[in-house]
Amino acid sequence: MRVRHPFRTAVVVALALGFVVALAGAALADETCNSPYVTKLIKGQEDYVYVWALGVEGLGDGSDKLVTVDVNPKSSRYGKVLNAVSVGSRGEAHHMGFTDDRRFIWAGGLAEPKIYVFDIGTDPGKPKLVRTIADMADKSGYLGPHTYYAMPGRMLVQALSNTKDKGGRTGMAMYNNAGEFVTSYAMPTDGGGDGYGYDLAVNPRKNVLLTSSFTGYDNYMRPLGDVVKDAEAMKRFGGTMVVWDLKALKPSRVLSVPGAPLEIRWSLKPGDDWAITAAALTSKLWLVKQDKGQWQAKEVGTIGDPAKIPLPVDISITRDGKGLWVNTFMDGTTRYFDLSNPEAPKQTYQKVTGKQVNMISQSWDGRRVYITSSLLANWDKGGADNEQFLRGFTWNGKELAQVFEVDFTRQQLGRAHHMKLGSKSLRATLPPR
Amino acid sequence: MIRRGGARALVALGLWLACALPAVAHDAEPLPALDFEPPAPGSYTLHRIMAAPDGEVVGLDGRPQRLARFTRERITLLGFIYTTCVDPHGCPLAYRVFDMVRDAVAAAPTLRDRVRLVTLSFDPARDTPAAMRGYAGSRARGGDVPWLFLTTRSARELMPLVEGFGQDVRYTLDRSGGAPRRELAHVLKVFLVDRAGFVREIYSSTFLHPQTVLNDIETLVLEERGR
Repeated sequence: MRVRHPFRTAVVVALALGFVVALAGAALADETCNSPYVTKLIKGQEDYVYVWALGVEGLGDGSDKLVTVDVNPKSSRYGKVLNAVSVGSRGEAHHMGFTDDRRFIWAGGLAEPKIYVFDIGTDPGKPKLVRTIADMADKSGYLGPHTYYAMPGRMLVQALSNTKDKGGRTGMAMYNNAGEFVTSYAMPTDGGGDGYGYDLAVNPRKNVLLTSSFTGYDNYMRPLGDVVKDAEAMKRFGGTMVVWDLKALKPSRVLSVPGAPLEIRWSLKPGDDWAITAAALTSKLWLVKQDKGQWQAKEVGTIGDPAKIPLPVDISITRDGKGLWVNTFMDGTTRYFDLSNPEAPKQTYQKVTGKQVNMISQSWDGRRVYITSSLLANWDKGGADNEQFLRGFTWNGKELAQVFEVDFTRQQLGRAHHMKLGSKSLRATLPPR
Repeated sequence: MIRRGGARALVALGLWLACALPAVAHDAEPLPALDFEPPAPGSYTLHRIMAAPDGEVVGLDGRPQRLARFTRERITLLGFIYTTCVDPHGCPLAYRVFDMVRDAVAAAPTLRDRVRLVTLSFDPARDTPAAMRGYAGSRARGGDVPWLFLTTRSARELMPLVEGFGQDVRYTLDRSGGAPRRELAHVLKVFLVDRAGFVREIYSSTFLHPQTVLNDIETLVLEERGR
């Protein structure tokens, strides 16, 4: 079951030659929004953006695929697709996450309980599919793996749905890094819990795991227009966040956050102990922090005009916790909020970056911003508005300037969704002779 | 009984934290207190994460032995180190925590005979049995709580153990700081192994604190008693 690591030989040789062992210790943050257990931050120029793309029937092989794009401006292939690894099926590709050692990417789709493991350590510029984990439904009863969150030696996978009724009640599945199921944790349905799940993020210093809530397969696989018109369906969205005891992995407090709170970002600034999220349906920013010893959620800001349902779908926090990018899907707008006072975020910039925009990621120094277009296959816009792209921007603190675009439709790659950054420096290399 | 033993362990730990830190050869500055109240022993479950791997190791006397001999029959706290490591959040941190855990366990009669510590080098080229003996210092002389200092004779013997535990050791070309620099990198991980040889917890530097480790040991002991 365990993958044989191709650079084992290199390590053996290196050890045999007695090379200096030079670095230890876990990094406490990643380029702004990964698990704090993920190591090897890319603090300089990233070389690659990995894009997890949904397959589109009739486009290329129609399958979901991991697309590697060269994003180093010094490269002769800057802004070009280096390769695409197809998984051979279409399962509503959605999110992905690094293992704690950053040697593998776990990725999955919302239409199936499958998880794909890509080796990015052997050759960061050429990911390879090395394993498919297909026992999540049998072992946990959960469907639609969404968030892949590295824990030491393990991966905690937050699902969106369940195989029984395909509704929103779900939970988290824990796997070891070899892809073996360890256990599962149901989202709470008592104490105010609605049982729904979406994202998860930890604050180890406070021993807190925070989860958010979205909706089940029966909603996210339907066309968005149908869901919005269906009053009963609209009731089946999450309205809670849950504070868990991280060590025990037990829920300790349910927070009311109406309107489907999605991505969770803890401030990375040392000493900060707050997290922020955006509620998709109400277009509000919520702050989660301790008040008089209790974790509380507080509405602290508005994104665009909530009456127009701009649908904030992704957020990205700066490494110093002072700024927040927010993408709103419906109006294709990227907004920047000054978070100097997280109790009162203030929008300072906005720009239309596409006809539809979903994910947003930034480099560690915040100077480069990457945006993709797809939300869900059945929620993306139609016709000319159905742009599918990865766009790269530079950010000088005042203006987002587009510097490249990969047209995923023209290149028959599918719908561009989640992104992760890669670097040649993370490649295992042979020692010098 | 176990509660009393656990309480003694925590009292011993408290005294250790308050008084003994400056005397430890491998320490730098006192470990910060936990910023949270950890869950009580026995109030949570430590799941079987994976089976601890086996392979050939050598002790301070240079004799080859199976690692399984040191990861069964007692609850084992095992950490990979290399003796030249100076990162305060790496091997030295593990050493300090092991020291504290050993003293706290030794002070708890109900834990003393159930726990061992294992320090295993992943740098066989440098960490010979002689080097490990120097690293162990007086700790190699034994005591109430066994603390084994092990190494391997070659990278070939070491790698199955490193891979089996999922201990990340990489030979990389790091360009992040400007000029390319070749280095071997590892992330601190410490493994808590139960009597049956299953890894039940993996600590990174964030959760590697003697109080959480002791609580976990007590949780495993309570689990054994509940069977």
